[in-house]
Amino acid sequence: MTGFLEGLRSAVVWVMDVTSIPILAYFLLINTSLIVLIVLAYLEFRAQERRRATAVEWQGAGLAPGVSLLVPAYNEEAGIVTAVKSFLTLRYPRHEVVVVDDGSTDETFARLEQAFDLVEVPRELPHEVPVRARILGVYVPRDGRTRLVVVRKENSGRSEAINVAINAATEPLVAMIDGDSILEPDGLLHVTRPFADDPTRMVATGGAIRPVNGSRVIAGRIVRVEMPPTWLPRIQLVEYLRAFLLGRTGWSRLGSLILISGAFGLFRRDVVVEVGGLDPNSIGEDFELVMRIHKRLRDEGRDYRIEFVPEPVSWTEVPVTATVLRNQRRRWHRGLWETLWAYRSMLFRPKYGRVGWVALPYYWLFELFAPLLEFFGIIIVPLALFLGVVNIPFAILFLVLAYGYAVLVTLAAMLVDEWAFHKHDRWQALGVTVAASVLENLGYRQATVWWRLEGWWSSLRGKKHVWGVMTRTGFDEGSA
Amino acid sequence: MLTFSAQLLVGATIAVLGTCLVLVIVVIAVRMHRQGRQKRDEMLLAPLRGPLITVASGEDDDGAATEQLTWATGVTRDVLDAAIVDLLTKIRGLPAEQLVGVLTAHGAVDRAKADLHHRSLVRRAKAAQMLGLAGGPDAVPLLVGALGDSTVQVRNSAAWGLGLIGDASAAGAVLAATGGEQGGIPASTSAETLQSMGVGISDVLATAFDDGDARTRMVAAHVTGDRSFTRGLPALRRLLADDPDLTVRETCATAIGRLGRAEDVTVLARHVAVDEPLSLRRACAAALGELGEAGAVPVLATLLDDADPRLAEIAASGLLGLGADGRAALAGREDTAPVRAARTVAELQRASA
Repeated sequence: MTGFLEGLRSAVVWVMDVTSIPILAYFLLINTSLIVLIVLAYLEFRAQERRRATAVEWQGAGLAPGVSLLVPAYNEEAGIVTAVKSFLTLRYPRHEVVVVDDGSTDETFARLEQAFDLVEVPRELPHEVPVRARILGVYVPRDGRTRLVVVRKENSGRSEAINVAINAATEPLVAMIDGDSILEPDGLLHVTRPFADDPTRMVATGGAIRPVNGSRVIAGRIVRVEMPPTWLPRIQLVEYLRAFLLGRTGWSRLGSLILISGAFGLFRRDVVVEVGGLDPNSIGEDFELVMRIHKRLRDEGRDYRIEFVPEPVSWTEVPVTATVLRNQRRRWHRGLWETLWAYRSMLFRPKYGRVGWVALPYYWLFELFAPLLEFFGIIIVPLALFLGVVNIPFAILFLVLAYGYAVLVTLAAMLVDEWAFHKHDRWQALGVTVAASVLENLGYRQATVWWRLEGWWSSLRGKKHVWGVMTRTGFDEGSA
Repeated sequence: MLTFSAQLLVGATIAVLGTCLVLVIVVIAVRMHRQGRQKRDEMLLAPLRGPLITVASGEDDDGAATEQLTWATGVTRDVLDAAIVDLLTKIRGLPAEQLVGVLTAHGAVDRAKADLHHRSLVRRAKAAQMLGLAGGPDAVPLLVGALGDSTVQVRNSAAWGLGLIGDASAAGAVLAATGGEQGGIPASTSAETLQSMGVGISDVLATAFDDGDARTRMVAAHVTGDRSFTRGLPALRRLLADDPDLTVRETCATAIGRLGRAEDVTVLARHVAVDEPLSLRRACAAALGELGEAGAVPVLATLLDDADPRLAEIAASGLLGLGADGRAALAGREDTAPVRAARTVAELQRASA
C-alpha cells in the first residue's frame, strides 16, 4: 500500500511539474480574454446607453421589414395557444406567426384548431429549403385576417420543423422562436431595428434571453419579473446574464458574433434559404447556421453584418432538475464541438477576418477545452492535497482566486444589468443573484464540467444523440 | 517568509476579492441612485402634473396652467422640461404650441441651439431633438448642419427633428447624409423623415437614385413608392433592371406595383423570368397583381405552372384580383394547389369582410 501511494505521489508530482506552466498560462490567458470581453462589452453598453439616451420614437412604420415568427411545436398543448396569442399581439406593424406542429402526439393541433377556428388551405409549400418529412396539411384561421399559418407534418425534429416554417414564411425576415418562450411586447421592434437602419447589409440579429422561471405571467405576457424560486434556475440566471450581457455583447462589439441562441434569432429569410436552412443533422443547429452564414458570405466577399441586441427580448423556461440540465449541457457541448470541428477550415484564414482569427480560436480554446482543463484540476488538486504534495494554504488560495475571478465576471454582468436594464427591482433579488454567483462554484460548476465532457465524449465515440424531453413546469399564469 | 509566487498569489486574490466587493457596492449604489432620482423627479413633478395634463389635453383655455408651468425653476424646471419633451412626441396642435412656449420661456430652446456644439454627443443629440420638437424658422439650418455631425446619434436626431418640422427644403441634405461616409443616417429614420416632407421632395428624390450607396437608393425607392411620386418611375424601372443590390431591386418592384402604369407590366414581366432571383420574381409577381392592369393577366397566367408554388399562388391571387379577365385565366386550372389555395384565402377574406 505504501509503495502504491509512493508511486502515485511521484506520478502526481510529475504530472503537476509538467502541466503547471501550461495550466498557469491557460489560466492567465482565459482570464485576460474575459477582461477583454468585459471591456468590449462595457464599450458596447456605453454606446448602447448613448443610443438609448438619444433614441427617437420609432413605431416600425415605413421601412420596418415584415417578420415571420417561426414556432416549432412538439407536444406543447399546455401553452401553445397562449404563446401564439401573445405572438400575434406583439407591437409590430407587419408580422405573421407560422406554427409547425412537428407530429405532436398530444392535443397541440386540436387546441390551435379550436382556438383559432382553423380551416385547411390546399397550399403546396415551396421547397426552397430541403425537407424530408411529409407535410400533412396547411391551415389558416377562418376569419381570413389573423396572420397565422399552422403546418402539420410528420415528426422529424426541431430543425426540420423550422425548415418547414421557413418554406411557409412569406415575410423577408424570419424569427426562430421556441413555443414556450415569451417575447417582450416591444421585442420585435428592438431586434428588427438594425435591419430597418441598415437594410442592405444586416443579415441576422440575436436578442438577449432571460430565464422566466418564477416570474408572474398573464396571458403570455410577463407582468412581474421575479427570481426563480429554487437555486438551480437561479444559478442559470447568473449564467445567462454573463453569456448575454458580457459574451454576446462583447463579440458583437468586435464584429465577430458567431452564436445566436436558438431560442430567439432573427434572420434574413433569403440568406437562410441561400445557405440551405438549419442542418437537421446538427446538434448545435443555431450555432451551425450562423457559422454557415459567416462562411458563405465571407467566401463570396459580401459586405454584411450580424449584430446582438442586448435588450431583453425573449424569456424562456430553464431546466429545474439536474436530469434535464444535464441533457441540455451535454447537447450544447456536443453541438459546440461538432460545429467547431465542421468549420475548422475557417481557423486562421485571412478571408474570415476576426471570425477566423479571434472568435473561433477563442471558442476552441476557452469554450471547448475549458471543461477538460477544469476537470483535470478537479481530479488533480484533491489528489495532490490527499497525498500531501502541495502546500494546502497555497492550493486553497489558488482555488479562491480562480473562483473569485468567476464571481467577479458575474458581478460585472450584474452591474451592466443594473445599469442598463434593472429588470429585477427587489433588493432581495440582488442578494440572491450575488449568492448564486458564489454558489455556482460549489458543485454546479463541477457538475456542468462533467456533463459537457460527457457530451463531447459521446460525439467522439459516434454515439447517436438522443434529444430527451425538456420537462416544462409551465408558467405560473396569474398566480405566482 | 512568503516566496515571490505566494506573495503574487495572495496579492492577486486580494485584488480579485476586493474588486468583487467594490462591484457589489457599485451595483447597490447604482440602484440607490436610480431609485432616489426617480423618487425625487416624481416628487418635484407632482405639483405640476395637474397643469401639465390640462395643457396637454387642450383644456387650458385661459392659459393659466401654461403660465403656472413657466414659473418652474432650478431642478424642477429641468425635470418638467424632460416631461414636456416626452409629451411633445405624442401631441400636436395648440397644446404642443403651448408646451413649446413653456420650453422657450424656460430657455430650453436657446440652450438647445448652444448645445448643438456641446462636447457630449448625448447633449448634442437631445438638442437636435429639442429643436425639431420646438420647430421655428431658424431650426432647419441648424439641424441641416447637425446632419454632418461626427456621430450617428446626432445625425439621426437631426434627421428626426427635420422630419417633425417637415420642411421639404432639407430633403436633399437628408438624402445626402443617408449613405454618408461616416455611416450615414439609419435608413428607417431617413425614410420616415422624407415621408413627412410632402410632395416637394420628388425632384430631390430623383437625384438620389444615382447615389453610390445602396441604402440611399433603397430609401429613395421606398419613399417614391410609398408617397406615389410618379416622376420617379423611370428611375425605379432602371434600378429594377440594373441595380447591383437585390434589396434595392425588390424595393423598386414593390414601388412600381404601387404607382406603375400599363407599360410597367412589360417591365415587371421581364423580372419574373426563371433566371432572376426567386425573391425578386415573387416581388415582381406581387407587383403585377398590385398594378391592377389587365395587361398583367397573360404574364401572371404563365406563372401558374411555375415550379415555385409560392410564386404560382401569388400569381393566382393577383389574377383573382384582376376581375373577370383574371378569373377567366384561371379556368381549367382550378384543381391545381396554388389556385385552390389562393381561392380559399380570397373567399375567407371576402366572407369576413
